[in-house]
Amino acid sequence: MSPAESGGYPRLLGAVVRREVVLFLRYPFEALGTIVVLGVLFAGIFLGGTALAGQAMADSIEGIVVGFFLWILAIGAYGDVAGDVAADASWGTLERHYLTPFGFGPVLLAKAAAKLLTHFVYAGVLLAVALVLTGTTLELDLVTILPVAVFTVASAFGIGIAFGGLTVLYKNVTSWMELVNFVLAGLIAAPLVGNDLLLALPLAQGSALLQRAMRDGVRLWEFEPASLAILVGTGVGYLLVGYLVFTLCQRRARRLGVLGDY
Amino acid sequence: MGSRSEARDRPRSTESEHRPATGGDRRADETDSGDKGDGDVALDVEGLSKTFGSGQDAVTAVDGVSFSVERGEVVGLLGPNGAGKTTTIKSALGLVVPDEGIVEICGVDVSTDPRTAYGHVEAMMEGARNQYWRLTVRENLEYFTAISGEDPATVRDRHDRLLEAFDLREVADTQVRTLSRGMKQKSSIASTLARDVDVAFLDEPTLGLDVESADELRRQIRAIATERDVGILLSSHDMDTVEAICDRVVIVDEGEVVVDDTVEALLGVFETQRYRLTVRGVEPAAVADLDVAVEAVTELDGRVRFDVTADSDAVYRLMRELDGRGARLEAVETDTPDLEGAFRSVTGDDRATTGGGGA
Repeated sequence: MSPAESGGYPRLLGAVVRREVVLFLRYPFEALGTIVVLGVLFAGIFLGGTALAGQAMADSIEGIVVGFFLWILAIGAYGDVAGDVAADASWGTLERHYLTPFGFGPVLLAKAAAKLLTHFVYAGVLLAVALVLTGTTLELDLVTILPVAVFTVASAFGIGIAFGGLTVLYKNVTSWMELVNFVLAGLIAAPLVGNDLLLALPLAQGSALLQRAMRDGVRLWEFEPASLAILVGTGVGYLLVGYLVFTLCQRRARRLGVLGDY
Repeated sequence: MGSRSEARDRPRSTESEHRPATGGDRRADETDSGDKGDGDVALDVEGLSKTFGSGQDAVTAVDGVSFSVERGEVVGLLGPNGAGKTTTIKSALGLVVPDEGIVEICGVDVSTDPRTAYGHVEAMMEGARNQYWRLTVRENLEYFTAISGEDPATVRDRHDRLLEAFDLREVADTQVRTLSRGMKQKSSIASTLARDVDVAFLDEPTLGLDVESADELRRQIRAIATERDVGILLSSHDMDTVEAICDRVVIVDEGEVVVDDTVEALLGVFETQRYRLTVRGVEPAAVADLDVAVEAVTELDGRVRFDVTADSDAVYRLMRELDGRGARLEAVETDTPDLEGAFRSVTGDDRATTGGGGA
């Protein structure tokens, strides 16, 4: 049966999302653990920052909250995607995802999208916690925030997919992933003023736009077309490059006979 | 009477005589495929080769392997550890890219149109691990059905049938991780057969099962192959499983197919049986002129033991001769031909055939 004859990609996505939701609800302690750890981390940054920097911290708190929100989304898009591939390889379920009429790539994209969905929930909850904790108010116009956030994390998502491919091929790439984790955090926080080249880096443009949307209340249609073009271009571009790297890696893994080994 | 242990004692030289006799890589259409209905080929492997590495480190895992599996047929893929079974299966599925060869699943070329081909096939490569342990048995069936594009809700009957067949109905809503090793294995097989497939690969399906469960599992796999007209390629070290449910056996050794024949024909390698007669009251020399080929005569503290490989007529003749010479029969042991013996014979392999691991 070809995907066209069957339920198509919505059924595939439905199945992987359902699995995420089932596990999310079945192991609430695990989900709660993630939220608590990230919440404590934020509280540490906020309270520590206030004690050390006082007024400076108070002046930039909105930016920190937005950056924190984006960082949770980004690590979900980046880390969980590669982690999911590694987990499937170690569980012995990776090869079964290869043997579907949808193709390995689309199946992993669907699984990655499902992971990202759970991180949107984490990020939403933690955003609320951060706002209450800091007494900050932000513009939460979803029509603006959602598309900007989606294209922003798409770049991290692309890197995650690429690392998923590298995991298939080289098995353990954790140390490299930690390095990239730092870089991504840096890209969210880095001010991009004065260097247009930096805008081509993942997360950077999206981070800047999200700050403006959430702090200054800029609406989606109020952004300059060029800014939006860079946002969409980097998001889609990194996604495509990530997918290409993934495809090359899985092809090489199959040639070497190491697909599914862990 | 100890047929297994005696099979292991069989002299190497006698076994090796059978190796070429079983006919190299005979194709399915030269065997008994005529009685398989329309001869609808579910899996066709032609000239599959795979070498890992290059130069001096190159290892040829699969070397020109050809065989086929028809719908409704259960074929056993056997071979000593490291013979190339796993690489053959993985190459056939495209999980390993072969250097040469064509693999067609239901007439679809796996290398040029993998997605269409994968609509017809599913595989259990990792035994009990082949599923999500934190999902329930039924959730696994539904998940792997859905990611192949089928609607689990519309095939609930099929899933119920599988749960029933593998004695999983009562644990259908239990997380796999909490099940016993054997139940996990059965759940994994059920999830592999949950999709509407035309061909399924099962690697060591009875691993970890007790004798009774293994028996039942064999029956059910056989029944499902027939009922659903699914071609099953089964790799196993468990000769009882292979002998019980396989129509045909493909034996690979050192990357090549050394036998492709029916189980019956393979057992027919031993048209004669081995007998061990122990008698009292005759001298070993007294049998020198017997009209029966005696392989070994051993004197044992007043008794004499004769090892013969013969058909029943010859055995009766020997007994009459011995009776005529005043011998008193102490014991008769027979060595029934089984697949394990045949396997050892064609592979010249004295290594244990139990235990996991593949190549």
